[in-house]
Amino acid sequence: MPNLRDIRKRIGSVKSTRQITKAMKMVAAAKLRRAQDAILKTRPYATLLERALSEVAARAGADAEKPAHPLLAPRVARNAEVVLVTSDRGLAGAFNSNVLRRSQRFMTENADRYAEVRVSTVGRKARDYFKNRKVRMQADYTGVNQQLRFEKAQEIAQELTARWLAGEVDAVFLCYNEFKSAISQNVVVRQLLPVETPPATESQAASVDFLYEPGREELLADLLPRHISMQVWRALLESAASEHGARMTAMESATKNAEEMIGKLTLDYNRARQAYITKELMEIVSGAEALK
Amino acid sequence: MSITLDIVTPEKRLLSVACDEVRAPGVRGGFGIRQDHTPFLSALEPGRLTYVEGGREHHYAVGGGFLQVAANKVIVLADSAEARDEIDVARAQKDFEEATERLRSMTEQDQNHAIESARVRRATARLSVAR
Repeated sequence: MPNLRDIRKRIGSVKSTRQITKAMKMVAAAKLRRAQDAILKTRPYATLLERALSEVAARAGADAEKPAHPLLAPRVARNAEVVLVTSDRGLAGAFNSNVLRRSQRFMTENADRYAEVRVSTVGRKARDYFKNRKVRMQADYTGVNQQLRFEKAQEIAQELTARWLAGEVDAVFLCYNEFKSAISQNVVVRQLLPVETPPATESQAASVDFLYEPGREELLADLLPRHISMQVWRALLESAASEHGARMTAMESATKNAEEMIGKLTLDYNRARQAYITKELMEIVSGAEALK
Repeated sequence: MSITLDIVTPEKRLLSVACDEVRAPGVRGGFGIRQDHTPFLSALEPGRLTYVEGGREHHYAVGGGFLQVAANKVIVLADSAEARDEIDVARAQKDFEEATERLRSMTEQDQNHAIESARVRRATARLSVAR
């Protein structure tokens, strides 16, 4: 029969666990709201930039056979680079392992397409995972998640672009958790380089051509780096929001499990106490009987 | 109110108003936009962006970006933008001095030259709009 004091101790420890998971859930919820807000705020800029870019690129491409800008030109891909966005801290359910699993799948699927697939990592979790694996690490960006800043995204984008232009890699992909809602995240792999512009819509193609200042090519050269930075920035923001969402859900269920456990333990405790009292009563009664 | 103006930055949508006229700092010189302007896409310099609404002028400092006009809609994709009374003059002044100081010790070939001179231009734009 379980010892009364042992059960009481376990109840105490599960209770403090519940308190921690509850607090973490609350913190994640607050952070999630802020992260979600940040995504919503960048959305207009990203959409409008993409639209402007596709308009310029579509018209510039219509002029000549060759692509209007080197960053738009696909080439025979030998080496690919995948940038994985994960978090620094765990306790967020399957958040990180989903990204890692997806990237592994990407590598096996594209094994014959690319001679080599390298990885770059954002966040500690991905770095630690690939440290001891037979995969070539290109770069790791840690400390990005502590405080998300657009400059950091720009920096990463510039490095990636430079590597691509130098011919070190021929295709760059971003792999991250896309934020759907607080309870659902979706891992996506998006091609970052070469840049794929969405085709111009009917109305765009039909409308009058723009006047460009300075010129189309110069504008493209200005627009493209910004577009790439925005893609990276978006990946960071989406991943941050997903992380908090995933942690919130994970902590919510952890709190629920703790509650269930406390209930079960309390029941055990009461049962044991009842048994103990009964036993004691029996002893007293039989003692009194004996004295008669 | 004949045209609409939207200013968006990577951080947020800053402004969305109807107005009569927009004046902006293009890379090939300043330009103005009124109703029925031809479709136009221009890169912007750091500088002063003004819109006129019912005879009143409103000033913004933009730190470069793009401006697109189509169908009486003006969209400004600014790298950064602040309304005149939101400008932190002390900070702009400090940025200006620091960047000028760093520029002095650089040659034009220095790889940071372009970055620092852009910083100077942005700070100058903020200061001139604030005054």
